[in-house]
Amino acid sequence: MTRSDLQAIWLTARLAGAVTLILLLVGTPIAWWLARARSWWKGPLGAVVALPLVLPPSVLGFYLLLAMGPGGPVGRLTQALGLGLLPFTFGGLVVASVLYSLPFMVQPLQTSFEAIGDRPLEVAATLRASPLDAFFTVAVPLALPGFLTASLLTFAHTVGEFGVVLMIGGNLPGVTRVASVQIYDHVEALEFAQAHRLAAAMLAFSFVALLALYAWRPGARKAP
Amino acid sequence: MIRSPRPTLARLAAASLLACAALLPVAGRAEKITVAAAADLKFAMDEIAAAFRAANPSDEVDVIYGSSGKFDAQIQQGAPYDLFFSADIAFPRDLAKHGLAASDVKPYALGRIVLWSASLDATRMTLASLADPKITRIAIANPKHAPYGKRAEEALRASGLWAQVEPKLVYGDNVAHTAQFVLTGNAQIGLIALSLAINPELAGKGGYWLIPGELHEPLEQGYVITRRAAGSALARRFAEFMGGKPSRAVMTRYGFVLPGEAAGRREVHDPQ
Amino acid sequence: MAGIEARFLLHRERFTLDVDLHLPARGVTAVFGDSGSGKSTLLRCIAGLERAPQGRLGVNGEVWQDGARWVPTHRRPLGYVFQEASLFPHLSVLGNLRYGARRGPGVAPARLDQAIELLGIGHLLDRRVDGLSGGERQRVAVARALGVEPRLLLMDEPLASLDLKRKQEILPYLDRLHDDLEIPVLYVSHSPDEVARLADHLVVLEDGRVRASGPLAESLVRLDLPVRLGEDVGAVLDGTVAVIDEAWHLARVDFPGGGLWTPDRGLAIGRRVRVRVMARDVSVSRVRPGQTSIQNVLRGRVDAIADDQHPGLELMRVQIGDSMLVARLTRRAAAALEVVPGQPVWVQVKSVALVE
Repeated sequence: MTRSDLQAIWLTARLAGAVTLILLLVGTPIAWWLARARSWWKGPLGAVVALPLVLPPSVLGFYLLLAMGPGGPVGRLTQALGLGLLPFTFGGLVVASVLYSLPFMVQPLQTSFEAIGDRPLEVAATLRASPLDAFFTVAVPLALPGFLTASLLTFAHTVGEFGVVLMIGGNLPGVTRVASVQIYDHVEALEFAQAHRLAAAMLAFSFVALLALYAWRPGARKAP
Repeated sequence: MIRSPRPTLARLAAASLLACAALLPVAGRAEKITVAAAADLKFAMDEIAAAFRAANPSDEVDVIYGSSGKFDAQIQQGAPYDLFFSADIAFPRDLAKHGLAASDVKPYALGRIVLWSASLDATRMTLASLADPKITRIAIANPKHAPYGKRAEEALRASGLWAQVEPKLVYGDNVAHTAQFVLTGNAQIGLIALSLAINPELAGKGGYWLIPGELHEPLEQGYVITRRAAGSALARRFAEFMGGKPSRAVMTRYGFVLPGEAAGRREVHDPQ
Repeated sequence: MAGIEARFLLHRERFTLDVDLHLPARGVTAVFGDSGSGKSTLLRCIAGLERAPQGRLGVNGEVWQDGARWVPTHRRPLGYVFQEASLFPHLSVLGNLRYGARRGPGVAPARLDQAIELLGIGHLLDRRVDGLSGGERQRVAVARALGVEPRLLLMDEPLASLDLKRKQEILPYLDRLHDDLEIPVLYVSHSPDEVARLADHLVVLEDGRVRASGPLAESLVRLDLPVRLGEDVGAVLDGTVAVIDEAWHLARVDFPGGGLWTPDRGLAIGRRVRVRVMARDVSVSRVRPGQTSIQNVLRGRVDAIADDQHPGLELMRVQIGDSMLVARLTRRAAAALEVVPGQPVWVQVKSVALVE
């Protein structure tokens, strides 16, 4: 495999890792609120979170291109903050992927939190635990399988991401040329052998990562 | 009383057959073809196809736009396109080599590339202007598989600017995507197809500078009828229509000229 | 003001909780009623798990809720035992016990040790929660609630999800709790036996409203609002095993006013017990009964008379020493005997049930 192929794989790994970590931080409070709230905002917010599931990636990518450009609201903000423009940067990919993979983190977490129910948290309150304390010492341990599932899905989804990255990435080697785009390039240029090699490498990498996490899942039923 | 299920079943079967028959297209009179066209042909081909449909109301013509390399690969894998208008004549020739052509490969235009910007005045620029440090992002199509991108790279190399300009490049998937980068302002300037730049959509937002043709390999654009459409009279009619005078006029207007024809607009900065 | 002052108005789907209660600062107060009467809701309001928009709650002088204040659950010095033990599955038994103790006012491991001993769970500490039986789980839950050094213990039908055998197992521990604890306990139950056994004070709820609130013995012999713990009216007396007749396998339980013979169940002399005497088992006579098979014959004075549910029956409260019993008579019999309040009578008790 060529150096540029390896570079693409490493870039993909960094992107998926960064997005998963960020979404753990951002998605957990959202999932918690959606699981526990009783206000009528729950429906609209849930729908907004699920939107990236139904939007075609290239459509999302296009609107991000507009929004992040110098004329768009995000672009104006980043420029005002001295951060320049997001398209064609790794940071831009991270932002776009966070938006695109949001439901993959929030939905499994939300389900997990809902499954806990009210009782354990009421018990924690009667045992003097403040709501934040109860969240970390009761809710999180009980929802651990959900966290794992959500992280796996988010990671895998980001690794496979193509449409959005293509739209706003600009295909810059080492910066935005992730493995999925690299494979696409090989195919477009009729370099099929290289495409096969890189695709196989990606598959193997993903499979090993997923296998390791699945086998280690705490709380999974062990063979007697 | 229990009725035997069989008569009901028979009635159901008859009903569904009738329904299917009613949905079948009326064979014989109307035909349908699917045309694969390079992205840069979008505006020109839309007009020509509309004219063809007006003249042949009972026939169906679908045009799909995309990257020529992709179409080549797809057709080789059996994609259902009847005609292929490619941005690079190499691709239809490739198809012919694989025995997938039902006609000769014919050129329909000579592609030209231009500098175009929505924020800067490209009409006053040359390729050398790209070295200006104020320009931080330049968009070109992916040279690896987009013909316009390849020519853009050749022109940049030929003018000795590649080393300075390369770090500032961003690559669009195809030339239309490249134009999008420039249109949204994410790249300040781009090297795109002439045919795209003179379309009112883009022309209204910025001017262009014609890049001298000798700086790059000629971009012969050609088309072919695929083997799949070998027996299609409609496909042949459409191909003929493309070569007819009204269609040539449209193509000219959009900057698709054959050697010997003049471009649709005055060539402003034709280099000496 | 000592004790618990609770005033809540809360609308629910099937009833409206509307209570104004004053409960003692010590001992076990049983909250009795049918399902849907609001017992659990009342407990949850006191715990702060439900928020009645207009409510007032004061516990031993501290205001936990009123128009201006709302103390959230985790800041109320209470312990809560839920109907299904609700132990944390991700912690061991010891982890569960320590959870509250760790967050209590001043960590006093001695308190937790006491609770562990009181509930007899020392041998279970390292076990995982899902390996415990129902009774063991509840005992852990009670110990866990005690571990936070509560100033009020709330128990929501803690035995409801247990079968008879497990209930019998755990009741002695609850007895001990009753005897040892110095804090008030609110015990929600729909079981007449549990209430008869454990309660000092009785609150009866019906459709969200308070039907009775008072000391147990007193409440049970009210004639204006016959409080039924179960199907029939009956009195509960606190007594002590005084005499054992080994030859005839009988034991006599003495209470303030007399003694009642009951089949010997192996209880030791001096042991404190409660007995229930149902109204249907008490008959009244103007003269001392002669040769009768009934062993328990006591002297008393008619205290009050009231109509019973059936037009042919009436209830008669008879004072025996310092205690009260209730008898059920037909009105015809009462008329024939010409008994009126204040009159001395003889009372025969056919059957005495030891509450255990």
